Amino acid sequence: MTEASVIGAGTVISGHVRGQGSLEILGRVEGDVSVTGNVVIGAEGRVRGTVNGAELRIAGQVQGDLRGSIAVLLEAGARVVGDISAPRVGIAPGALARGHVQTDGEPALAAARVPTAVVRPVGPPPRVAPLAALSPVVPKLEAKPLVLPTKVEAKPPPAPAKFEVKAPLPPPPKLAPPKPEVRKPEPPRVAPAPPQAEFTPVRPLKPEPRRPPPPVVPVLSKGIKAKKKKSQD
Amino acid sequence: MAGTVIGEGLTIEGDISGDEEIVIHGNLRGRLTTTDAVTVGGTAVVGADITGASLSVAGQVTGDVTASERVDIQAGGKLVGDIKAARFTIADGASFKGNVDMEV
Repeated sequence: MTEASVIGAGTVISGHVRGQGSLEILGRVEGDVSVTGNVVIGAEGRVRGTVNGAELRIAGQVQGDLRGSIAVLLEAGARVVGDISAPRVGIAPGALARGHVQTDGEPALAAARVPTAVVRPVGPPPRVAPLAALSPVVPKLEAKPLVLPTKVEAKPPPAPAKFEVKAPLPPPPKLAPPKPEVRKPEPPRVAPAPPQAEFTPVRPLKPEPRRPPPPVVPVLSKGIKAKKKKSQD
Repeated sequence: MAGTVIGEGLTIEGDISGDEEIVIHGNLRGRLTTTDAVTVGGTAVVGADITGASLSVAGQVTGDVTASERVDIQAGGKLVGDIKAARFTIADGASFKGNVDMEV
């Protein structure tokens, strides 16, 4: 059943090899290899074709893809031209590989990648947030200029805190609401950096929209940074 | 130990060629050529023309056989095909169908 198979050093197989059990290739195989057990390709072994198996241990030459349900291990002297995919992939010093390498089925890694990706998008949205704030701010200014400053001060801290915390779940929902609002002002996005700098001061200006003092901008940023540190603490 | 062993669960579709002993316990469809001995185990199913120094059959072989030395069909073995060999034995309990050429 799971009897070990060996393809000797003096043997050449041109065709497909498949089935159950493990396989040791010391000779040459010109074709695909697909077995349920482990595959060992000796230093003198050569395979031209796809190799499928549980654990692939390669010291010879392979021209084709390697897929291991458990692992793919390239030992010193191995030469592989083709894609490698397995939950565990090992490439020893002295092994040569050319192709795409992918470690599948590792939930921890996959999970880690997703949150980081989410966090990155979080970065840009905050810049947009001030723009969004602009539209609501204008009406507010007309209604209650005095109350605004307090609100403004309160608002900035939560936003930066979310970003700093980089908590994957909390930021997205909070960011989501601003996005729709942002869409309207989006056209200004075309000139992203400069306009934002000009607009950000608007927040402090809210109470006094008459003059836009440039020095206020650094103040805002300083305040945000300080709050960030506090939130982190 | 034999140079090449095809395990019981293994199937090869294609040609095997080499210069060392070959033992087959699995399945082979194609062609088998070697300069050394060939052994077809009891669990093997071979549909291939076989060329080698000698051939021992305990399983099933369908195909023409050319051996430079000898061919032996063991008890329980089954061979369907033409045989060309200097020596040829069929054990009691073996089955065989085909022509024999012993190069008299």
